[in-house]
Amino acid sequence: MTKAVRRLAPIPLLLMLAYAALVAGTPRLSASQVYAGLFGPGADWLSTLVTQFRLPRLCAALVVGIGLGAAGALLQNLTRNRLASPDVLGINDGALLALALSLMLNPTGLLGPWWCAVAGALITAVFTLLAAGGVGTRGYRVLVVGLGIASLLRAGFDIALATLPIFHATGLYAFSVGSLAGRAWPVVTVAAALLGILLTACWVISRALALLCLHDDSIRGLGVNLGQLRFTVLMLAAALAGVTVGVGGPIGFVALAAPMLAQRLSPDGGIPVWCSASIGAVLVTGADLLGRIAAAPVEVPVGVVSGFLGGPFLLWLLVRPKACGAG
Amino acid sequence: MKAPKSALLVVLLPLFVLLLAFASLSFGAGGVGWQDSLHWLLGASSDAHVDLVLGELRLPRLLKALALGAALGAAGVLLQTVTRNPLAETGLLGVNSGAALGVALGIALFAGQSPAAQIGWALGGATLGSLLVLLLARAGGGQSSPLRLVLAGLALTATCHSLTAWLALVSTANLDRYRFWLLGSLAHPHAGLLWPSLVLIGVGLTAAMGLVRPLSALALGDDLARALGQRPAPARVGAVVVVALLTGTSVALAGPIPFLGLIAPYCARTLAGVTIASQLPYSILLGSALMLSADLSSRLLLAPFEAPVSAVLAGIGAPLLIWMVNRDATLALMPAGTER
Repeated sequence: MTKAVRRLAPIPLLLMLAYAALVAGTPRLSASQVYAGLFGPGADWLSTLVTQFRLPRLCAALVVGIGLGAAGALLQNLTRNRLASPDVLGINDGALLALALSLMLNPTGLLGPWWCAVAGALITAVFTLLAAGGVGTRGYRVLVVGLGIASLLRAGFDIALATLPIFHATGLYAFSVGSLAGRAWPVVTVAAALLGILLTACWVISRALALLCLHDDSIRGLGVNLGQLRFTVLMLAAALAGVTVGVGGPIGFVALAAPMLAQRLSPDGGIPVWCSASIGAVLVTGADLLGRIAAAPVEVPVGVVSGFLGGPFLLWLLVRPKACGAG
Repeated sequence: MKAPKSALLVVLLPLFVLLLAFASLSFGAGGVGWQDSLHWLLGASSDAHVDLVLGELRLPRLLKALALGAALGAAGVLLQTVTRNPLAETGLLGVNSGAALGVALGIALFAGQSPAAQIGWALGGATLGSLLVLLLARAGGGQSSPLRLVLAGLALTATCHSLTAWLALVSTANLDRYRFWLLGSLAHPHAGLLWPSLVLIGVGLTAAMGLVRPLSALALGDDLARALGQRPAPARVGAVVVVALLTGTSVALAGPIPFLGLIAPYCARTLAGVTIASQLPYSILLGSALMLSADLSSRLLLAPFEAPVSAVLAGIGAPLLIWMVNRDATLALMPAGTER
């Protein structure tokens, strides 16, 4: 009973943040104005501001946060490594590079279909798997291999950036920092649909997923095809990360922090995917809100906020004398 | 068998660097070929165009690349000795990004600053970054996994990088300048920046040579070093100060350049053995050679565009990193309790 309550703890926080995200900004709205903007009757500008600007941005933050939180939880369950996340493993950079390539190869000069990011993430995940010689090995090795691959992909991205005309390069650079500014319904709805499909898949394999915290031989003993399960989980995580990059660019450290906080909330067994996803949504919504109001009228991109706060967090994890936790 | 091999290297490596330097003068945009540059070098050229291309563009760039390679190669050796970590590199450990943040902060706070101030800001950032690295390396008591330090560097880099990116994005007018500067482009010779940097790097390299004896003793462990009459703590701090000087100056000159401090010492170890006395000069020479080749390929690879030299180096360095991590079984050992 209490466990269920603790797992639901992020939900009220998320609702509060969502409300704040609709209210805050220029102009500041009141609760009744938000209601009028959402459901009418209200002035045209009010309805446009709420339903066409703030609401899609909030939904984008939710999609990105849920995706990152779930991807991080899947990867950490998979690698049994609390530092594994799509940004450390280079998956986000792969997705970003795929987007940059789509921009270069597109004769119209527009950013290619955003599912390129998903394709890039999947390819990178397979590549990291091969380079690290299996993702199930405990330890830092897979992380540093991922770091190497991330640098390699970043180099590719930098070269792509250097060959682009300045107008495109500036836009792409801003995207590569990770930002939710100006995300509109067409992107958000498709991404949300894809996210829904991927989360359903997570739900379908949730029983097998819970086994991943057991010893390899025990899992095999239960008649589960371990290699297949691992590959499925890795692909799911990569696709989730790819969706988030397609919407908001690479946003670091959310996928690292969310599973860890989720495990604090329910400290038994593996890392709870759903709890991690909701905490991811809280983190991204909160970081985006903070970026919007902290230095107003200038907007700090959400990727900058998450990097600024996430770096010290990772440092703290590493220098802490004894890493605690189950597993 | 060893002596003739190293004697051969002592002759061949500087020759190789000279050859690359000549190539660096001879290739690139501007329609000036190797015959022209040979004439110019011999003082037999009176063509104003050749004079402009070589004297104003290619020669500063060549000097810059030579100095950067030497500085980063030496910094890599020092940092690896002090942290006892073959993966220690100013880029991976976040010293580069600390220096870059310093410069970005200087530009954001005092727009249009002098070259001296730019170097000062970079030195400040590099000093903070390298002190933090030393503290982190010491925090594990020398028992921690080498990979942990790299991940701590990743954390430091992320924080500094996001702050730098924000500073760049806030002032949209400066974004283009930041972009090229951050990518470590060698293309824009800042005339006022070049000569002070060369002097500072020269000072840093001399100091690094002076640290060879104390650091060789340190490599034996603190107790043995004390028995040999060396004091470990001042040697360590001295090495970190020299690393900060070399890194800060090179970042002020050309932006953060990754992986060079990993590749050059690694090749030097393979060629010249593990003693610091032989590793340091080779690493300096190899660093210069690498930097020159990376600069050349960055000019020729995508012509007429220019590939950022940092990307070229990452293309070599990242696979080396992956290979080193995968090959060395002891590297992958991790302290107990850090897994989930």
